[in-house]
Amino acid sequence: MELTFDLVALQLFTGLALGAIYVLLAVGLSLIFGMLTVVNFAHGAFFMVGAYVGLFAAEKTGSFWLALVIAPMVVAAFGMACERWLIRPLYGRGIDYPLLLTFGLSYMLVEGVRIVWGKSGLPFDTPELLQGATNLGFADFPTYRLFVIAVVAVLLFVLWLLIERTSFGLIVRAGARDPVIVRVLGVDVSRVWLLVFGVGTGIAALAGVLSAPLQGVSPEMGTSVLTVAFVVTVVGGMGSLMGAVVAGLLVGVVESMAVLIFPEAAKVSMFVIMAAVLLIRPQGLFGRAGLMA
Amino acid sequence: MSAINPTLAAAPPRSLPANAFAAIAKHRVLATVLFFAIFPWLMPYQSLAINILIYGLFAVGFNLLFGYTGLLSFGHAAFLGVGAYTAGILIAQYQMPWWAAVPAAIVAGCVVALVMGLLAIRTRGIYFAMVTLALSQCVYFLIYQLPASGGENGLRGVNVAEVSLFGLKLNLLDPLQKYYFVFAFVALALWLLSRILASPFGGAIEAVRENEARARACGFDIERTKLLAFVLSAAFCALAGALNAIHLSSVPIETLHYATSGMVVMLCLLGGMGTYFGPFVGAALFLLIQDLASGWTEHWQLVVGAVFVFVVLFFPNGVWGTFLQKVSHDR
Amino acid sequence: MTADAIIETRAVSKRFGGFKALTDVSVKIRPGVLTSIIGPNGAGKSTYFNLLSGSFAPSAGQIFFMGRDITGLRPHEFAHTGIAKSFQITNLFPNFTAIENVRIALQAHVSRYGLWRRRSALAGLSEQAVALLETVGLAQRATHLVRELAHGQQRALEIAVALAAKPRLLLMDEPTAGMSPEETKVMMGLIRRLVEERTVVLVEHKMKMVMDISERLVVLHHGELIAEGTPDDIRANDLVKRVYLGQGRH
Repeated sequence: MELTFDLVALQLFTGLALGAIYVLLAVGLSLIFGMLTVVNFAHGAFFMVGAYVGLFAAEKTGSFWLALVIAPMVVAAFGMACERWLIRPLYGRGIDYPLLLTFGLSYMLVEGVRIVWGKSGLPFDTPELLQGATNLGFADFPTYRLFVIAVVAVLLFVLWLLIERTSFGLIVRAGARDPVIVRVLGVDVSRVWLLVFGVGTGIAALAGVLSAPLQGVSPEMGTSVLTVAFVVTVVGGMGSLMGAVVAGLLVGVVESMAVLIFPEAAKVSMFVIMAAVLLIRPQGLFGRAGLMA
Repeated sequence: MSAINPTLAAAPPRSLPANAFAAIAKHRVLATVLFFAIFPWLMPYQSLAINILIYGLFAVGFNLLFGYTGLLSFGHAAFLGVGAYTAGILIAQYQMPWWAAVPAAIVAGCVVALVMGLLAIRTRGIYFAMVTLALSQCVYFLIYQLPASGGENGLRGVNVAEVSLFGLKLNLLDPLQKYYFVFAFVALALWLLSRILASPFGGAIEAVRENEARARACGFDIERTKLLAFVLSAAFCALAGALNAIHLSSVPIETLHYATSGMVVMLCLLGGMGTYFGPFVGAALFLLIQDLASGWTEHWQLVVGAVFVFVVLFFPNGVWGTFLQKVSHDR
Repeated sequence: MTADAIIETRAVSKRFGGFKALTDVSVKIRPGVLTSIIGPNGAGKSTYFNLLSGSFAPSAGQIFFMGRDITGLRPHEFAHTGIAKSFQITNLFPNFTAIENVRIALQAHVSRYGLWRRRSALAGLSEQAVALLETVGLAQRATHLVRELAHGQQRALEIAVALAAKPRLLLMDEPTAGMSPEETKVMMGLIRRLVEERTVVLVEHKMKMVMDISERLVVLHHGELIAEGTPDDIRANDLVKRVYLGQGRH
């Protein structure tokens, strides 16, 4: 394969779009962990459910744009119900139990989707407006991928505002599930847990809808993406949003570039990155040393 | 994370059932081995009995790390798979005899565990589940791409028709004899496990589970202790994998899937973590539920998932663990 | 090996990110002497204490124990050098009995990776464990689980576990925290007995107790050493009086 500038640029760009999805996933995971100290093993399942709900919404309303808004909200609501009724009872019991519960939940979600929509994957058409390519001056890039990058960038900015500039964000930054610290700020801590889990799963669902036109939807799409979310989180550093952004983009770009140069290694490339980080800087690129026992 | 009182054997018994029970607990290896010696006659068909033994052994290995050391790994499919594929490839493609292939499989599992462990244990506790999942996915991709593994179709032709050692001949085409072949290994493994648990190292891993900071202050090298536990755990799982390869005469690629890692977590939790016999109870329950539920509906995984969620919420000590607690209620 | 210091910190500093918890603290702790580290809240006592016990390494400076440079030794290695600590918040093995807690601490110095022998057969460990429980007055409660022990008894067990390391230097972080006056008296008696055979360094808030029991005091303030000496020296020290007076300690 001849490595022309165009090809490299295109692949780099594809990597950024892929990475953008990874960033969304890692950010949601990190938020949930930072506030609730729960590693959400159902995160991939919420991603997948988001994609399916998006598909359903798009078919029913005929609008991709509506689906983009509806799916995250529906999934977030469902996520909040899960937090309230399934996960919250386990907070006192040690760090592994909420994790185990989300794992069991993921099983149920995957099978639930199979029951409703069948076992095989379904296609998802790119909305007409976003089909084709856009010329950015020096090259042509697929419009949909541009859209994905743009949406993620906007969402990250909104999140950043939320976290840095609001009292809700203050609580999230204070982190930890310590009711004492949070009550001092005059907020009902359980409401914060609910919202954070909702936001985290909602973002995962959005990532699902965004990725649907790129690869279709299937009940298994959540499992493979869960691994990526974990790798990105470990590489970036748990609890760090900047880390999620940098690591997500890095993993996406490296994976796409590897397809050009060394295709057999593409799938394994993210693990090489993770291994390197674990050896050199185990807390992650932006993680704080000694964080999280 | 708290587990069953590890000194159950030392509990002063009060009532007759508790008395009998304490006696059994003291001779747990003998009791378990005797139970499994007669097990095939308790089961409707022998291959179910073999599956319970093999899945049980897999869960026993996992339990050493999770129940006794307190480390939750979501990557144990890697060890089952490495054991299975190593034994399978050596037997099917290199015509190695079973008595060389099985130990080789165990060694392979230990080597992979050493590498994975060196990477995973550097991180703090909560990362461990994520890193082990990711690393075992890596193992999956690597083995999948290996031509010898057969990729999507899995490995075929792991044919061990007859086994002879010290003059004793077993025809592995007969399910009952195949059961006893597997049983011999499991009995040996259970004996070794009991020795490990009763050893100074066994005390060290429980100290790490109970209070890592305190164990460190006492002078235990936490990282090295965890790594050794990780490797020992992998050895048992690799053995289970090798036995499974011989049992099925093949190795399906699903052996390395994330779902298999998840399954062993479920087995352990269902049965009872940190108990000696719990993993087998968990294996039996899981296989039973799978059998029953897939008779009703093709969506048996929903049932399994729901049962698991239920157990996590209401019976975290598992079936066997809860039973043990009831028996020693005077504690 | 200097006879005048069992443990010594030389110009030791500790930063946490941008925050400097300790600056240039140089102290020699004399052997066989009960030394207390005191100071107002936020003075850096806990940080200094953690440095002495090896929980983390200093950002600058060195630590010498019996003449040997132990700066940067890994935390679990400290227990093998002869330094032991009892934690401020009771930090035991929750599902073990009292005697099992002590036994496992003893075992750490005999066998950590032995896979073959039975640990119940390790020579003498049970007897030593019982003896240690007797030292702290818990022999009657040997087979009780940690959660069945009263708070004061749990603190005593903490000490027994720390003593299992046969330390030359015993560090005690607020040993009487949360104790009633009777329990405090018992604990003080125990500490006085312990000093007979080893060096003890305390971190404590209860000023009356500290003044009563200590032979030497080290005073920290805002992460710096401001005074060192006998209780009388410290009582007469103007700087200490300014820093401390009006704080309302018991």
